[in-house]
Amino acid sequence: MLNLDRRWIFLAIGVVSIIPFLVGIGMPISTTAEVESIFDYVNGLDKNDAIFISFDYAPGTQAENTPMGVAVMRHAFYNDVPVFITSYFPLGHGMAIEGLNYVTNPAVPGFYQRVSFEEWAVFREAGITDKDELVIAWENDGNVLPEGAMGWVFEGRDFAMLGYAPLFHLVILGMTASIEAQYPQDIYENQLYEMPMLREHKSLREISLALTTAGSSACRSWIVYGREKVGLPVAFGVTAVMATDYFPYIQSGQIIGQMGGLRGAAEYEVLLAENGITASTDKAFRGMDVQSAAHMLIILLIIMGNIAFFAGGFHKKTAMKGRG
Amino acid sequence: MIVMVGGILMMVQYFIPHQYSQAVFNSYTEWAPIVGAFALILGVGSLTRVHSHKIRRKAKNWQYSWAVLLPLFGMPVFALLLPQSLAGGMEEPSIFHFLFMHIQVPIQSTMFSLLAFYIASAAFRAFRAKSALATVLLLAAVIVMLGQVPIGEVFGRWLPETGLWILRYPNLAAKRAIMLGVGFGILATNLKIIFGVERNWLGGAGK
Amino acid sequence: MYATIGIWVGAFFTLAIYSFLYKENPIYRLAEHLVVGISLGYGMAITYDIVLKPRLIEPLLTGNHWILLVPAILGLLYITRFIPGIAWLSRYPIAFLMGTAMGVGFPLTMKTDVLRQLEAAMQPFYQSGMPWHVVFGNIVLIFGTLAALIYFFFSKPHKGLFFGTGSKIGIWVIMLGFGATFGFTVMGRISLLIGRIQYLLGDWLHLIE
Repeated sequence: MLNLDRRWIFLAIGVVSIIPFLVGIGMPISTTAEVESIFDYVNGLDKNDAIFISFDYAPGTQAENTPMGVAVMRHAFYNDVPVFITSYFPLGHGMAIEGLNYVTNPAVPGFYQRVSFEEWAVFREAGITDKDELVIAWENDGNVLPEGAMGWVFEGRDFAMLGYAPLFHLVILGMTASIEAQYPQDIYENQLYEMPMLREHKSLREISLALTTAGSSACRSWIVYGREKVGLPVAFGVTAVMATDYFPYIQSGQIIGQMGGLRGAAEYEVLLAENGITASTDKAFRGMDVQSAAHMLIILLIIMGNIAFFAGGFHKKTAMKGRG
Repeated sequence: MIVMVGGILMMVQYFIPHQYSQAVFNSYTEWAPIVGAFALILGVGSLTRVHSHKIRRKAKNWQYSWAVLLPLFGMPVFALLLPQSLAGGMEEPSIFHFLFMHIQVPIQSTMFSLLAFYIASAAFRAFRAKSALATVLLLAAVIVMLGQVPIGEVFGRWLPETGLWILRYPNLAAKRAIMLGVGFGILATNLKIIFGVERNWLGGAGK
Repeated sequence: MYATIGIWVGAFFTLAIYSFLYKENPIYRLAEHLVVGISLGYGMAITYDIVLKPRLIEPLLTGNHWILLVPAILGLLYITRFIPGIAWLSRYPIAFLMGTAMGVGFPLTMKTDVLRQLEAAMQPFYQSGMPWHVVFGNIVLIFGTLAALIYFFFSKPHKGLFFGTGSKIGIWVIMLGFGATFGFTVMGRISLLIGRIQYLLGDWLHLIE
C-alpha cells in the first residue's frame, strides 16, 4: 500500500474538493472570540472614524486573504466608515484594486455603487462633504441608487485607493506623521489634500483601525511601526499557515483580533449575515464544506499511512537499520 | 560608516521630539521609498542577464527565456507607452490588465494551490507517529484540523473547544518563546550591522 | 467579451499548472516562465507610475524640489552593480537603507517582540470567576513559555532539574504548538485549492454561484 502512486492521492483530493461544491451542504460554523472582536470593533465605528485596509499579499494567497479584506470593506461601507486602501507589495496593488472592484461590482449581490472623484466634484466645491448631506444632495440631483445596491460610496469621502509604495514599513512609519506626505495622490492621480477623508484624518494617529490582510510577515510592520509608534489599533487577516504564530499578539493586546485563514473570513461573513449587514454569506463560507471533506480525507490518509507503516513492520526495519 | 551614522541617528531620533529631529525623520521617510524604488533595477538586471545568456548560448530550454523577457519589458511598454486606443494603459480593459489579471493571477494562485495535493501525498507517505512526541504532534494537529471545520462540531462542542484551547495556551507559549528568541536575535543582528560587525548584507559587490 | 476571453485564458493556464500533477510538460514550463516575467514587469510599471512619477519626476519638473536629486542619484547608483570596475558604489544606497532601517527598527522591535511580550507573559494564574480550563491554561502558558525558552537555550547542556526537566517540558509544549501549526497549514493549503476550484466551477463553467 505504501507504494501507491501519488497521482491516485492527487485524484482523490481533487474529487473530494469538487463534490461538496456541487452538492452544496452549507454546514453552519460557530464564530470565535478572535474574529468577533474585530467585528465588534468595526461595528462600533461610524462616519467620524476612518480605517486602513491593507492588501499585503500576492495573488498566491488571494483565496484566503481577499475574502477578509472584502468582508471588512463591506462592513466599513455599511457603517459609512471611510477606508484608505493600501498594499505592501506591487502584486498586492492589483489585489487591492480587484478587492474594491468586487465590492463595487453591480454583478455581485450586495454591491455598493461607486461614484468617482470627478463625478461629485461640484458638491465638494459647494462644501458638501458630510456623507449624509452628500447622499441627499446627490440623490436630489437626479441620481438613483441602482437596484440591488446597498448604498453609494464616494471616492475621497468613503474610500481612497492609495495602492503600493516601496519599503512599505517605512511608509507606515511616515504615515504616523502625515499620510499625504507618503501619498500625495491616489492611484487615479486625485490629489489627497482635496479629499475630505484625508482632511479629517491626516495621520495614522487619527485612524481608528488598520486591518492588514497578509500572506507573509508584512503584517508585523503594522504593529512595529504603527501600533508601537502611535498606538494605532491593528487587526490581522492572515493565512492559516501563519495564524498560529500571531496568537501572542492577540493575548498581549497588540492586535485587537485575528482572522486566520479561510475559516476566519467565513466567520466574518457569518457575522455580517447574522447582523443584517449582508444578505447572505459569500465565497469563504461556501468553501468550508470542502474544507471539512478535505480534512477528513487527509486524516484518513494519515491513519492509513501509519497503519501501513506499522503493519508492514517498517518501524522495526528502520530501528534495525539505525543499529547497523 | 554610512550604516553606523544612519543607524545611530535614527535610533537617537526616536527618543527626541524636537522639530529638527522630526525634520530628519520626515526627510528620511520621504527619500527612502524613492531610493527603494530603484532597487528594482537589481532584480530586472539580474533576470535579464541570466536569461539573455541562456538565449545567446542556446542552453537547455532557452526558448522559455523569451517567455520571461518579453513580458518583463512588454508590461511597462503596454502600461505606460501604448495609447489607450491600442489597448494601452493600466486599467481594464487593456493588455497590461489582461496579462496581470488573467495570466499572472491564475498561474500564481494555482502554483500555490498545488501544495494541497502535495500535503495530501505527504500525509499518506511521511506523517508517521514514530515516537511519543510525533504522536502528540499528530494528535494536536488532528484535533485542531477537525475543530476548525464545520464537521468537527458534529463530534461535539468539545472538539472545537479543545482545538481552541490548544491554540490559545500551549501553542501561544511555544510561539511566544520563539518570538522572544527571534526578537533578541533581530536586535543583536541590527546592532551588529550598525556597528559593522556583520557585513554579509553587502553581497560582495566589488572590493 | 474581454472578461469572457480573460476567464477562458485564466482557466487554460490554471489547468496548465495542474497538468504538472500528472507529468511535467512544455505548457506548464511556459506558464512557469511567464509568471516570472509578468510579475516583475508589473512591478516595474506600478513602481514607475505610483512611486517615481508622482514623488520624483513631477516634483523635479516643477523646478522647486532639487533636493530630491539626492535620493535619485543614490538610487541610480544601484546600476553600478552591473559595471565590474565601480560595482562598489552600489553599496551606498544599500547602506543608506539598511543603516537607517536598522536604527528605526531597533527600539520599535524591542518594544513589539520583547518588552510587550514579556509584559503579557506575566499574567495572574487565577482571578475570581475564572473557569478551570482558563486557570489551567494560564499555568500552561506561563510555565510552558519558560520551559520552551529553556529548551532553546543551547549554551548549557540540558541536564539537571532546571535545564533537563525544563527542556523536556519545553519540547512537549513546542510539539503541541507545532501540531497546531501543522493543522492550520493543512487548512491553509486546502483553502488555496478551494479558491481555484471556485474559479473553475463558478467563474469559468458557471456550475456554482
